[in-house]
Amino acid sequence: MRRQAIPELTYLQAISDGLREEMRADESVFCLGEDIGAFGGAFKVTDGFIEEFGEQRVWDTPLAENAIIGTAVGAAVEGLRPVCEMQFADFISCGFDQLVNVAAKLHYRQGLAVPITVRLPSGGGFSGGPFHSQNPEAWFLQAPGLKVVAPSTAEDAKGLISAAIADPNPVVYMEHKHLYRRVKGEVPEGRFQTPLGEARLAREGTDLTVITYGAMVLTALEATDDLDGASVEVLDLRTLYPYDRDAVLASVRKTSKVVVVQEATRSCGVAAEIAALIAEEAFEDLDGPVVRVTTPDVPIPFSPPLERAVLPQVDDVREACRELLAY
Amino acid sequence: MPQPGVSVAEGTVTAWRKQPGDEVAADEPIADIETDKIETEIPAPVSGRLKEILVEPGTTVDVGTVLATIDTGGGAAPEDAEPEPGPSEAEPSEPEPSEPEPSGRGNGDGHGPFVTPVVRRMADEHDVDISQVEGSGRRGRVTKKDLLAYLKQRDEGEAAPPAAKALHMESPYREEAPAPAASGGQELSTMRKRIAEHMVRSLRTAAHCTTIVEADMSRIEAARGKLSYLPFVARATIAALREHPTLNATLDGDRLTVHEEVHLGIAVSLGEEGLIVPVVRDAHELSEEGLATRIRDLAERARSKRLSPEDVGGGTFTITNPGAAGSLLATPIINQPQVAILDLEAVVKRPVVVTDDAGRDSIAIRPMTYLCMSWDHRALDGMLAAQFLSTLKGRLESWA
Amino acid sequence: MASTPATAKGTAGDTEVREARLTPDDRRALLRYMLLMRATEERALTLYRQGKVPGSFYDGRGQEATAVGPAFALGPRDRACILHRDLGAHLVRGVTPGRVLAQMMGRATGVTGGRDGNMHFADHQLGCVQMVSMLPDMALVTCGLGIAFQMRGEPRVAMTWFGDGATANGQWHEAMNVAGVRQLPVVFVLENNHWAYSTPNEREFAVDPVERAGGYGFPGVKIDGNDVEAVFQAAADACARARSGGGPTLIEAETMRMHGHGAHDDMSYVPKHMFEEWERRDPIRTYEERLSADGIDVEQVRASVAEELERETKWALEQPMPDPHTATLGVFADGDPELGDGQAPWSRWSGEEAGDS
Repeated sequence: MRRQAIPELTYLQAISDGLREEMRADESVFCLGEDIGAFGGAFKVTDGFIEEFGEQRVWDTPLAENAIIGTAVGAAVEGLRPVCEMQFADFISCGFDQLVNVAAKLHYRQGLAVPITVRLPSGGGFSGGPFHSQNPEAWFLQAPGLKVVAPSTAEDAKGLISAAIADPNPVVYMEHKHLYRRVKGEVPEGRFQTPLGEARLAREGTDLTVITYGAMVLTALEATDDLDGASVEVLDLRTLYPYDRDAVLASVRKTSKVVVVQEATRSCGVAAEIAALIAEEAFEDLDGPVVRVTTPDVPIPFSPPLERAVLPQVDDVREACRELLAY
Repeated sequence: MPQPGVSVAEGTVTAWRKQPGDEVAADEPIADIETDKIETEIPAPVSGRLKEILVEPGTTVDVGTVLATIDTGGGAAPEDAEPEPGPSEAEPSEPEPSEPEPSGRGNGDGHGPFVTPVVRRMADEHDVDISQVEGSGRRGRVTKKDLLAYLKQRDEGEAAPPAAKALHMESPYREEAPAPAASGGQELSTMRKRIAEHMVRSLRTAAHCTTIVEADMSRIEAARGKLSYLPFVARATIAALREHPTLNATLDGDRLTVHEEVHLGIAVSLGEEGLIVPVVRDAHELSEEGLATRIRDLAERARSKRLSPEDVGGGTFTITNPGAAGSLLATPIINQPQVAILDLEAVVKRPVVVTDDAGRDSIAIRPMTYLCMSWDHRALDGMLAAQFLSTLKGRLESWA
Repeated sequence: MASTPATAKGTAGDTEVREARLTPDDRRALLRYMLLMRATEERALTLYRQGKVPGSFYDGRGQEATAVGPAFALGPRDRACILHRDLGAHLVRGVTPGRVLAQMMGRATGVTGGRDGNMHFADHQLGCVQMVSMLPDMALVTCGLGIAFQMRGEPRVAMTWFGDGATANGQWHEAMNVAGVRQLPVVFVLENNHWAYSTPNEREFAVDPVERAGGYGFPGVKIDGNDVEAVFQAAADACARARSGGGPTLIEAETMRMHGHGAHDDMSYVPKHMFEEWERRDPIRTYEERLSADGIDVEQVRASVAEELERETKWALEQPMPDPHTATLGVFADGDPELGDGQAPWSRWSGEEAGDS
């Protein structure tokens, strides 16, 4: 039987593809955000959408993030499936109130589901400066009622956007800008979902585990590909909340050494949560301290040498792994 | 090629507004480019004369590619390149030097060794006295791997009687630590893959034969003192190679190169991870003490992953010495592109027939070993292999 | 008492506005709901003072007409985001006083099962979406409901309430702007009760909010918020316009908050004469006088309300507290949202089932 060639898409194309599939399959799915219609989106994720789906379902909103999210909540409880785009993840702060006070809490308080998806183009590495480079996912881990996902591969980018839309809860979708055109991969055609709450082993190994997500998955794979012959496992979380506790604990049990890598700033992020979980529930599986590699607590600077100095680089991850291996 | 958008990775030159030889002024538009997001122009970064166009119109290149050179007249031509965005080639950091410090076990100072939770748990579960375990971690810490290795040895060691303990005390080989059971199998590590590839290639390339000779090591036993057998065998081997130089050669296709110098490869086990063969360069210039020191140094560096590329290349002959586990015979695989490899197996006391000067036979107990050499039948024949081994045996048995 | 004539600002569109007719039963119903609101809140305040209501207590005394009037105009398939001064709207949509009291006392069978307190409740089975404390967040949610109706081409209306203070907030601007840009089928009821906690109008805005509606592209109507029929009329007009594609309306209902911001507030900052003036304009008493003058038996309505409250209070006091083990349940939903239809007691809707307007 001849094998069907699976097309290769960029990460960005995969998001578009997933979104398009959902919009074709279900009329209640619609997109809203700034410049997503006529312009096709600041990053062109919705390029061609308004031509195919019309302006009712591809809404160029006013410059008003609370309005984007607030109206999405109203539409969602009335049975539609809105997919909001924040032009940059950083601007979620302008819509924060609707997200954490209205969307996140409504089901707990009233028993009314809020099936919205909020897409956040996040991350740095290209001189975007302090307001266009953030990875604010930790904020949402502190707002019970929100789910948070962060794909690192093209296939997961498509699978997770579909799953996020299908989920009856508010899902924050962290799409890392640096991966848009730099990551290419085989992406199955048609509709499919990557399950929420399930991590993926990017590489199996026995000597040490790197737990990470988003753009840092690539950094971690590169850093540990040829590390003094060591066998390094790389676990891609994919969902940041609720994250795959079982996968984390199983990996710790296997290798007993963990490095957690995040591009977000250090304090109280996903890495801190994972490290705390491991300390609490896998203490007796540890053969060394849980180490975090993160950006320090600083706004992301603009000039390339400054930005490179703060964002975790391949060598930073490699060094941390090397040290822990020798512990 | 500049990066006119945060997620743009490549651009296409559509037109050059200047030609080589033209004067250009700083900031003057010099070329037009197109990305999948926008069309824009590139202003010249400096004033000068356009020297050379490196990317023709219609060509798509990655961000950061040099497009042209401009001669500013000072001799050196600064390049018309935009700084590469994203992570750059940062200085590779120094690898952590491993500190050979005294083991933390049983110092008798009342503090006891530092033990991590997993080691404590496993020691409890398997009823292990941690002070009996050799530690290879920092400050002599007993690591999980050490404990697993100890457990394996303990389980196996219970079957064998104490007298069968290997005679070599300082074999560069370590006990192998078995990997913890993984469900469903897992992919080979990079090192294992490399070893696998080398071994298969060697078998495919060379016409492997193995010749074995038995040697009485009692003279070596008397001479060696604290050293292991290996440096003596190495010294004797070098002498034998002088007499039979064809064995000290490399074969590349049809081309045989017999070497003057002996660069002796010594196989070092890295435990479960694999195997590496560092080379004692100019080994012919060393005595057995010198060889012992160099071998020890290389083995230690191999195990702490501090070998440099020069340490592992250019060998002319290899010796492997896995006898610590008690194996008697083996058929080693040649280390390409060499033509032979010598395997020194266990030295075992056996009753042998000895003939005194008067020609009378009697039975004596002697430490015997088998010298197993695999050799490439493309480069030499059995007669030569046997002669070489015979010479080697002679030197060992008449050591003085 | 004559009602202030409605002043329509901005464009009214070319839609036909049906005159809102009220039968005698409708008028009795309007009074009943206002009486029910006051009686329930008085009872709740007593319970609060008896320590049976935890946390804080908020009521809308004096604002019964602005709560009941607009809600009365809604059809079964219309949707509402009701605020803390508008208990009457919940009652019109079908929430019983007993469930309200149980809600305030944090009982398991209160509307939110103890998940949220005081007026932070809504019954989704009756087509209502629950308020948050941040104001006027619900105005944007209301716009979202309107967007759903507009996208599906349905003749349905989304209604919400907010106060004078909320108009100072950025989200009020975002809501008014979005409503105007898309001409959404929404009705914004601005209850100007003169006090945002202790802050009077002149510290809250420079221009009367009703004047600003035109700036957003739709009509603003200012009415006497204590005249339930005037409020109802304005709301019915606005709903009719919205339903037929005429876009949003801002109804500024002028009224007075007769109690403190919460039970903990003694309103010492309010000039006494304001209380006296607005007491004379009490929405319930003035309506009772009107109805009596038109030959409607007001006493009967009163008696029925009193008896209902007794029954409902007794039920509420018997309700159990929630099981502590359920505290962490229900953060996430397993299935899609289900917004049901509310009761629509206005005679216009009788015989017209859900889906029919």
